Amino acid sequence: MNSHIVSWLLAIPALSALVVLLLPRPWERTVRRFSIGAMLLELLVSLRLVFADYSTAGYRFVEQVQWVESFGISYKVGIDGFSLWLVILTTALSPVALYASWGSITTRIKEYALSFLLLELGMLGAFVALDLFLFYVFWELMLVPMYLIIGIWGGKDRVYAALKFFLYTMVGSLLMLVAILYVVSSYRELAGHYTFDLQELSSLVLPALPQYLCFAAFALAFAIKVPMFPFHTWLPDAHVQAPTGGSVILAAVLLKLGIYGFVRFAMPLFPVASQAMGPVLAGLGVVGIIYGAYAAWVQRDLKKLVAYSSVSHMGFILLGLFAMNRNGISGAMLQMINHGVSTGALFLLVGVIYDRRHTRMLDDFGGLAKVMPWYALFFVIITMSSIGLPGTNGFIGEFMVLAGAFFSRTPIGFGTAWFVMTLLAATGVIFAAVYMLHAVLRMFWGKVVHEENSTLSDLNLREVLSLLPLVGVVFWIGLYPSFFLDKMNPAADEFVTDFTVRYDEGRRTSEPRLVDFELLKRELAAAGELAVTEGADQEGRP
Amino acid sequence: MQIEATQQIMLLLLVLFPLGGAVTNGLLGRYLAKGLVTLVGVGSVAVSFGLAVASFVQLYGLHHEAHHATLVYHFYEWFSLKLPGGQVVPVNVRFAMDSLSGIMTLVVTGVGGLIHLYSVGYMGEDEGYPRFMSFLNLFMASMLILVLGSSMPLMFVGWEGVGLCSYLLIGFWYQNRDYAAAGRKAFVVNRIGDFGVLIGMLILVVVAGSFEFSEINAAAVDGRFQADFPVLIFGVAPSLATIACLFLFLGCTGKSAQIPLYVWLPDAMAGPTPVSALIHAATMVTAGVYLCCRLSPLFITSDVAMSVIAVIGTLTALLAASIAVAQREMKKILAYSTVSQLGFMFAAVGVGFFAAGFFHVFTHAFFKACLFLGAGSVMHAVHAHGDADIFKLGGLKKDLPTTRWTFLASCLAIAGFPLTSGFFSKDEILLGAAAQIHRPDDALMQAVGWFTLIGLTLAAVMTAFYMFRLYFLTFTGEYRSADQSGDHPYDAHPHESPPSMAIPLVVLGIGALVVGFLGLPHVMPVTGTHLPSWWGHWMESSVAGRPVPEELSVVNLASGLAFAAMAVGIGAAWMLYRNENEDALAKAAPARLYQLAFEKWRVDELYAAIIVNPIRKLAAAVGHSDMTFVDALMTRLPSFNVRAAGRLFAHLQNGVVQMYGAVMVVGFVAVMAWFWAPHAAIEADFEGTEVALEAPKGLGYEYRWDANSDGEFETAWTTAASTSFEYQQDDMRGVAVFLRSIETGSERRIRVTEKWTSLPIESVVPAERMTPSERGFEVRVDGADLVFRKPFVPTGSQEMRLPMGRVGRLGQARVFARPLVEATVEVRNAFGNTRRASRELALPFAFEDAAPRASLMPPSSREVLR
Repeated sequence: MNSHIVSWLLAIPALSALVVLLLPRPWERTVRRFSIGAMLLELLVSLRLVFADYSTAGYRFVEQVQWVESFGISYKVGIDGFSLWLVILTTALSPVALYASWGSITTRIKEYALSFLLLELGMLGAFVALDLFLFYVFWELMLVPMYLIIGIWGGKDRVYAALKFFLYTMVGSLLMLVAILYVVSSYRELAGHYTFDLQELSSLVLPALPQYLCFAAFALAFAIKVPMFPFHTWLPDAHVQAPTGGSVILAAVLLKLGIYGFVRFAMPLFPVASQAMGPVLAGLGVVGIIYGAYAAWVQRDLKKLVAYSSVSHMGFILLGLFAMNRNGISGAMLQMINHGVSTGALFLLVGVIYDRRHTRMLDDFGGLAKVMPWYALFFVIITMSSIGLPGTNGFIGEFMVLAGAFFSRTPIGFGTAWFVMTLLAATGVIFAAVYMLHAVLRMFWGKVVHEENSTLSDLNLREVLSLLPLVGVVFWIGLYPSFFLDKMNPAADEFVTDFTVRYDEGRRTSEPRLVDFELLKRELAAAGELAVTEGADQEGRP
Repeated sequence: MQIEATQQIMLLLLVLFPLGGAVTNGLLGRYLAKGLVTLVGVGSVAVSFGLAVASFVQLYGLHHEAHHATLVYHFYEWFSLKLPGGQVVPVNVRFAMDSLSGIMTLVVTGVGGLIHLYSVGYMGEDEGYPRFMSFLNLFMASMLILVLGSSMPLMFVGWEGVGLCSYLLIGFWYQNRDYAAAGRKAFVVNRIGDFGVLIGMLILVVVAGSFEFSEINAAAVDGRFQADFPVLIFGVAPSLATIACLFLFLGCTGKSAQIPLYVWLPDAMAGPTPVSALIHAATMVTAGVYLCCRLSPLFITSDVAMSVIAVIGTLTALLAASIAVAQREMKKILAYSTVSQLGFMFAAVGVGFFAAGFFHVFTHAFFKACLFLGAGSVMHAVHAHGDADIFKLGGLKKDLPTTRWTFLASCLAIAGFPLTSGFFSKDEILLGAAAQIHRPDDALMQAVGWFTLIGLTLAAVMTAFYMFRLYFLTFTGEYRSADQSGDHPYDAHPHESPPSMAIPLVVLGIGALVVGFLGLPHVMPVTGTHLPSWWGHWMESSVAGRPVPEELSVVNLASGLAFAAMAVGIGAAWMLYRNENEDALAKAAPARLYQLAFEKWRVDELYAAIIVNPIRKLAAAVGHSDMTFVDALMTRLPSFNVRAAGRLFAHLQNGVVQMYGAVMVVGFVAVMAWFWAPHAAIEADFEGTEVALEAPKGLGYEYRWDANSDGEFETAWTTAASTSFEYQQDDMRGVAVFLRSIETGSERRIRVTEKWTSLPIESVVPAERMTPSERGFEVRVDGADLVFRKPFVPTGSQEMRLPMGRVGRLGQARVFARPLVEATVEVRNAFGNTRRASRELALPFAFEDAAPRASLMPPSSREVLR
């Protein structure tokens, strides 16, 4: 089982970055090919993770090496049903984004490749880290290359956008660091030694007030990253200014780290606060769904439209997450992949037209279906995926999220607040159609009114090659999502059970204490108070 | 008795053939020869029709063995949901054909096949022909999934799939932006309905515990939907069935073009005529009626929802018919006619005559498809693009004999001429309305019955009138474009259509005349003879319904009204329009009213004013304020604050060196003061009877320990910050009593001596959780025991003793004692300054035994585990 595969995943981009650093600057073709090759190798290696057994919850491929012993910091990494797909998403989309970039990026090739490799390293590290310190290191590491990508290869206002991105994210993460240190020191008071190991820290039960404060600090960092309304204003700027490859990665992977942070850290560590604040965050998610859709509808810049649609989609994910049941959480996890694929593809498509016309204004287009039929076909397919047409990936995710919200809280499945939130979120399905079809109408239908558009060339091989895998995944998830869900559901079930037990303990605590949750869960399960997660999936199937 | 024939591969192939055709023509069509495109496009549907017939024959055979027969094909499990109770509900890709879906499949593939054939002639010259065929095939596949899907989510795949195809086909001539916008309107309006279906579906699965139609219906029959909906709506708690049905019906109003969501269908005529015939007349728009029939056992349990459906259906029938009367273009008239006829179907559903409503779906598919194709044939003949103005036509019966006769047959059918198909189906609907009048037990239903009966009769009059207005103006009189004068005249020499278009017309025209005999009325009007109704018998097995009345008076009332409506309508059209060239009605009717009807009662404008524009303005406001207000609040305000603070500090950096020096001195003194005296504190860690003591580390610090604080240091000065020590009985400085809440784990420590001390149990257990007997204890040490008493009990309380190593319990709290010792450390730093710290430690074990007792260990997992 333990084949150091996760460490290899981190080593490959790190070593490749080193190699790129050493390559002479004029060897541009070599740099391009080498960086893509390294990322493809990385993808290949990461696919090995899929073939493990995820039918029970828990971490796989765990590796632990002491790092700073006196402070209990260790290099500890591992994978479970949640992070598995996010890792695959990262390794799959990084080469796509980089490959697509080679069409439009012509300056400072070496630095660009270097930034992308470091970015991949940072993202993967954050997804696999099981040590809070290590997580924080990767979380911050990831900021730097993204900052450079926007700031150097971006559009007109790139410096402003890059700075805004950096500061916004930084403010959130600093408070998170404070909260991490508080948790670690509380743990030490009780256990007598320092540790940053997530699994050890998980036995700490904090009373309500510190939970609320720490949760707020974590939540701010993650909510900014998601981005949750009203912390989203950095996103349109960053997207509009970033080069195509940067936008793809930003939308497809970086935003997911916010949600992942909630699932992996904020919710298990501070269950009482999450339970209390969950509906509020879900409500903000719903606001984001509608707000993002409205804002998207009136954008005249296609890329900004897609950026606001991200706000709307991420709202769905928040709603599902805080519904706190299997449908919602699995749905949110699946929707993260869906959003990565669909919005990533949309940004690629925006890049295609921008490379040809150097404008993204909807007013400058019209009638492109005649000139670029294959482009139109891809765009419409991805649009349908983005608005959740059944048969594409978007539907499964949205449906599960809505079901999760609808079933939330009360045993028979209706709580007034959640019912209203479900209704409002479901109207997002309508508005998604409004803004996306608005864009399609303005781009593709009608006559070619601008002379410059009548000679545009259709998709070239590079563009088709980078879009095809994404379209494949759109239908794969749409038609056979079980392949993905079967690996997430056990993790989601375990997450819900675990959360319930933690919440129960946390609610009754007035002073910090340590609880052996594994033992407690076993005892509760033995007493029949807890559904045993193994095999629960089998009931009800024909 | 029920029979289920499993794994009927035909059901899957039925869907896959058109799907394959769509993919082939969609991706490769433009590189293939036209003949090959036709072969793939029409052939795949033909095969599908063959498979449908074969499946139907098999189903028919099974019906002789058992009344409830179903063919099933389970393909795979799509995904699953987990209900609040923990039950896992699979969402299957599973196709099922029963009597209801069997008929619908035949209609879809049969009529669809004919329209594919027609399209070969009609669209053959269009440059987008392969694309057209691909979209049509995709539509067929989606529609078949909708019909054959055995569960709500799979049906929803088809439901939205046909919406997508509708969008693509309405905007087929995408170079015309108005057409594309009409497609978008159709999609968005349909999405509003789909929202209702989504929510309805979730309610269904929560209550029924399954997505399968059969199990939802079974749950409805069991009465599980009769419980109150847990969320009050305007202070009322409707039943679950009502809420679910109303949400689903919202979906039906979208897909089947009912008030309030009918507005997309007339605009949808922008699509090529075969599309109007197939999607917007014969099949897709009847999906709503199909869904209601599919879930008829559920719908029939909610009188409120049924009444709403009946009223909406009737109103739609009236409204659309009144608009159709004043329109000038062939397809527009037919479009409003479709909306109106769909209203008839929903009215039938609403009065509980599901089979009658579905029978109208069946007959309507024939005559309305025939009418649309006839209109297409006329447009093809006169080279009219988009739509044909009937006031530029006329006298076409000479040049287009086939079109004329089939068109006439269909007009008779839709008007309800005796013995045509529409006659039988419309009769049944009116009978259903009339039957409700005779339900003295139910005032609501009676009112709905009257309303429906009168409304539908009026609508039937208008139907007969506008259809024959259309017929007379198109086919009788003189050809008004013959002399090529006037505004944009059509081709001067109309010609009959090619055989590929004529054959479908003939087949559908004959169908429009004869298919009604499948559904003979149960009781013959006038004579009162009982007739065998094949349709009613066949539908019984899958569709619920209210009882069909046997009284002759009711039957006569319904039939009489239907006949009268037909006669009045045709008669009026005959008088006004036979061999006429002018719009006689425009002269006869009040001008304002006529104009308003011509402008479709300005409903589109109303929607724009009260819904679309406000939302658009709101969106514009959101989009604008996001970059100004929200961004200012979240970005510029904080950055302004930071900048202001920066400016403040910048002022301090004023370049006056003396100031800097002063600050430096103050800082230096503060730092030195910090370093001058060392820091001392003690942390203890217990391991067995051994106690590890630790003091904070510091640069150049040395330590010496007096672990039992007896004044003699056990260690010499050392740089090690920790030591360990084993305490003896003699080191004891006192005893501490611990109170720990069992529930919350919170602790309180009290130092006790040989004097009585009160025991503050209320500090760890909330007052409301205590009984009076647990309050007011005092405690003291007596040798190796703790002694408890209650001083204020008048009778004098009994003293209780607790040995030092044991755990006692007082209500919700545990009580135990621990020995106290004191540890002292002296710390010396590099300046030679020393500081001393002492700390009182409660040892987690008693001294009687050498080994510590487990029961006295610090909070451990055993304690917490209850």
